[in-house]
Amino acid sequence: MSTDATVAVAIFAVGMVGTIALGILAVRGRDTDLAEWSVGSRTFGVLLTWVLLAGENYTSFSYLGASGWAYGYGAPILYLVGYMATGYCMVYLFCPMIWGYAKRHGLISVSDIIAHRFRSPAFGALVAIVATIALLPYIQLQIQGMGLVVSAISYGHIGLKTAFVIGFVVTVGFVLISGLRGSAWVSVLKDALVILTILFLALYLPLHLFGGYGELFSRIRETKAQWLTLPGHDSPGLGVGWFMSTCVLNAVTFTVFPSFVAGYLGSKDANTIRRNSAFLPMYSLLLLVPMMLGLAALFVVPKLETSDLALLTMVTRELPGWLVGLVGVAGALSAIVPMAVFMLCIGTMWGKSVLGLGRDDPARTKRMSQLVVFVSGLVALAGALALPNALVRLSVLSYEGIAQLVPAVVGGLLWRRMTTAGALAGIVVGEAIVVPLALGGHDPLLGINAGLIGLLANVLVNVAVSRAWPAADAGGGRFRRSAEVRHEPAGTLQ
Amino acid sequence: MSRYRHRRTLLWLLVPYLLFVVAIPFVNRIDPVVLGLPFLFVWVLIGVLVSPAAIWLASRGDPLFAANEPEATDVD
Repeated sequence: MSTDATVAVAIFAVGMVGTIALGILAVRGRDTDLAEWSVGSRTFGVLLTWVLLAGENYTSFSYLGASGWAYGYGAPILYLVGYMATGYCMVYLFCPMIWGYAKRHGLISVSDIIAHRFRSPAFGALVAIVATIALLPYIQLQIQGMGLVVSAISYGHIGLKTAFVIGFVVTVGFVLISGLRGSAWVSVLKDALVILTILFLALYLPLHLFGGYGELFSRIRETKAQWLTLPGHDSPGLGVGWFMSTCVLNAVTFTVFPSFVAGYLGSKDANTIRRNSAFLPMYSLLLLVPMMLGLAALFVVPKLETSDLALLTMVTRELPGWLVGLVGVAGALSAIVPMAVFMLCIGTMWGKSVLGLGRDDPARTKRMSQLVVFVSGLVALAGALALPNALVRLSVLSYEGIAQLVPAVVGGLLWRRMTTAGALAGIVVGEAIVVPLALGGHDPLLGINAGLIGLLANVLVNVAVSRAWPAADAGGGRFRRSAEVRHEPAGTLQ
Repeated sequence: MSRYRHRRTLLWLLVPYLLFVVAIPFVNRIDPVVLGLPFLFVWVLIGVLVSPAAIWLASRGDPLFAANEPEATDVD
């Protein structure tokens, strides 16, 4: 091993051990009941909520995919900062309401909210299953992202598969014990490292390689002008219409994306969420950096086989070992934090909504949830090791599939006359439009994000069915307290 | 939807939509170049800086922000 590689690997190892220690110490001296483990007892202030929600936006994709898209396509990657701005407007409007509803009734996940709103544990279980199908590919993507980061920053000395296992072990190592609070504290470490390393790269690399951003962009204008406007270089239909419709669709999806919901349900009050919705779009400034560096890589490391390695290849070529190690820890944590929250989120949904079917036994629910956390991580790890492409293909569905839950969750809370049949019919029609379009390669359809087309049909069907067959006494006594509902038998979903 | 009436500062939340949805067909261009940056990138940079300010302005004068209360739901 070269000196640089030894230093980088040593720093990375210290970072991973420190991560497990920090995650576990985060819950020292606290109760470890279900509400603490799943939603941090709803006590998080602006800082912890900030780092949790930022963790959702700033994943290992930011190091790999964002620079990779910029390298491969160019301007279309700007959608990432666009939908973050519109998304936080939706967060301001709707998330405090969802948070308040969950707090009043002690609900801990999206599926739990649905089960309670529609008085249907079976509907909740269905939502948990749909959400799991959408989230599992994301966990696998993060494991694989971690593999790429670790093998790059170790100069190839740590193999991909070893890195997958390290990612799994570190994540499971703290999330089983310390749940959402552990994830939040690991996020604090992650954000500190990400901000420092990204700011450094933003200032140093363009100056060192080109003499500044102006020089970089004038070179792109001269020889790579296609990269600078939509639809970019050789992109699959990522034009102006796709950009606009995606900024609309992904924005509403923010409010119900299960792991994002897990993040904001931990807030201690409504304004914690509102303040964060103003602060968090600023985080996009950091996202712009890997995009710019992806463009820079066009000249520094042309003809890469894996465009996702655009940024990291430059980092290992241009920087000393200790800095490469720090970038590696930041990149690895950017995979570990979202992975932890995804797994926690699948665990809490299954523990209560599927395996518990709404039964009120927190201790048992927590044990079940922990088991599912472990299993979901194992499934994703197995997928990464054995079938690296199969599950990941599903990830094109994730955002657009989850978007179909928006009418039932947000609309359901705003409109009491929405019926179970209406909400369910809407979701079925929405998914029936999105799934074949996305898997069949017809997304975007006529330049419009397929998820948005599905969502419009979803809302129309939902309203039509809810109005055509109204619930018998929707205005009055149909809605009872949660305590009574828990004794209802399962299977009110008809 | 009554919980969103009488909160006129929420109209500020339209600003990010104007920047990143409505304006996109008109700003998808390289010229004019500002400080070396092509225009689409300049526009996105402006959007990233203006959006948090717009959301912050929405919260000023929002009665539910002043009360630190979540919106009521239509069902319980």
